Amino acid sequence: MLELVEASRHYDVAGRAVAALDDVTQPFSDGSITTVVGRSGCGKTTLLRLLAGLTEPSSGSVRRAPSRSIGVVFQEARLMPWLDVGANVAFPLKNRLSDAEIAERVSDSLSLVGLAEAHRAMPAQLSGGMAQRVAIARALAQHPDILLLDEPFSALDAFTRRRLQDVLIDIWQERRPTVVLVTHDVEEAVLLGESVIEMESGRVVGRVPVDIPFPREATDAAVVDYRRSILARLVGGAPFSSIPESRRSP
Amino acid sequence: MPARRIIVPATVFATVILLWWMTHQAGWTNAYLLPAPSAVIAALVDLAASGLLLKHTLVSLQRVLLGFGLSVALALPLAVLMSASRPARAVLDPLLEFVRQVPPLALIPLLILWLGIGETQKLGIIVLASFFPVFLGFRGGIAGVDPKLVEVGRVAGLSRREILTRIVLPSALPELVVGLRISLGYSWRALVGAELIASSAGLGYMIIDAENLARTDIVLAGILVIGTIGLFSDLILRLAIGRAFPWLSAHLEAARA
Repeated sequence: MLELVEASRHYDVAGRAVAALDDVTQPFSDGSITTVVGRSGCGKTTLLRLLAGLTEPSSGSVRRAPSRSIGVVFQEARLMPWLDVGANVAFPLKNRLSDAEIAERVSDSLSLVGLAEAHRAMPAQLSGGMAQRVAIARALAQHPDILLLDEPFSALDAFTRRRLQDVLIDIWQERRPTVVLVTHDVEEAVLLGESVIEMESGRVVGRVPVDIPFPREATDAAVVDYRRSILARLVGGAPFSSIPESRRSP
Repeated sequence: MPARRIIVPATVFATVILLWWMTHQAGWTNAYLLPAPSAVIAALVDLAASGLLLKHTLVSLQRVLLGFGLSVALALPLAVLMSASRPARAVLDPLLEFVRQVPPLALIPLLILWLGIGETQKLGIIVLASFFPVFLGFRGGIAGVDPKLVEVGRVAGLSRREILTRIVLPSALPELVVGLRISLGYSWRALVGAELIASSAGLGYMIIDAENLARTDIVLAGILVIGTIGLFSDLILRLAIGRAFPWLSAHLEAARA
């Protein structure tokens, strides 16, 4: 079980407490895949950091069995610049598995992200998108019980993004980790989530179960419908929707 | 590119020697104050032939290597200790800060009184001069570790010790390397200073002895040797580091001792 219970997180901004996360209670059942969507600054990343144990809640709590392993993909690749790609993917596994097991997992997960050939490359030689794929491979190689992803695909080109979204769903269906993926892309949220959590100003404002079987296509009428209704709720009433119809480009 | 890296500095040095030779040929300089390049080369050849050059160079090299090695051996664990322990910082920081403000050459009289004029005193001066760049470089590198990389270790379940050895120390290497290069340069400067004041062997002694005998050619020869060895020792250090840590190559260009 992974759960936030009345969790809040405040930051001190110029002597004033600003709530990045405001009284959120949210369970994530074992083996589920949930996406969290909202504008920049709505508290998505804070929610993920609390689940990862990287940030302590100011009040409330995070419930997670301590024995459960966690893999995190951050917004940035965060590779160790002194290690080559293979060693970066092996990084969390070192001293925990045998060398043979590590080698197998490293080559498997690099193949999954399409970087089997880049094993010996140094991070400085990689493009931003390639580095991010290495970071994804690093998290996958851990075979974590809980996989937390913070905008993992936003640095990737559209084709690679689509492929890695499929990889994520395949892995989830095969190994059944509890997945929480944060994104600002509503379409991605609908494509990948069994349910989509909508956030606004540090609060969870909705949880939409997406009743479409995997694999999903962005062009599916059902996906388009979900996307439209979530967008309407998240954008409705916000300043961006106040541009008069007549002044919008056709 | 490697050819250019040799050609440019070689041309610069050749130009300086040419200008030096021309001023001498034109009679603009006093041969006693600035002997001709040929006179300096002749002095070098004589010194080499007599074995004196090798003797003095080896004595100086040995002192530098010992002093530099001692500095590094002291600075690295102390930097780790002070980065990891708040009480250690509280106690040692003010003391070290005080010592750092005192130029090592100003401590020579005291070191002579305490340690005599033997090897210990020279090592003391070299250590005082070369300790801080390594120490501060390494500490700065440790303090400057990217907290985002530390988080990668935390979510991977690494212990404090593992985070230190697998993330913090490697990421401090670039600044350590800069510190090492500066330290090595400082070691040479301090050594020659120490040998100038009280010594019976070494390149600094050779220079001061030549000055007493009004042999400016030998003084200049000694300076050339010191500069050349300094350049080469820096080069060797860079090559060794570049070979051990290829990803550091960009940082190696960052510091000039």
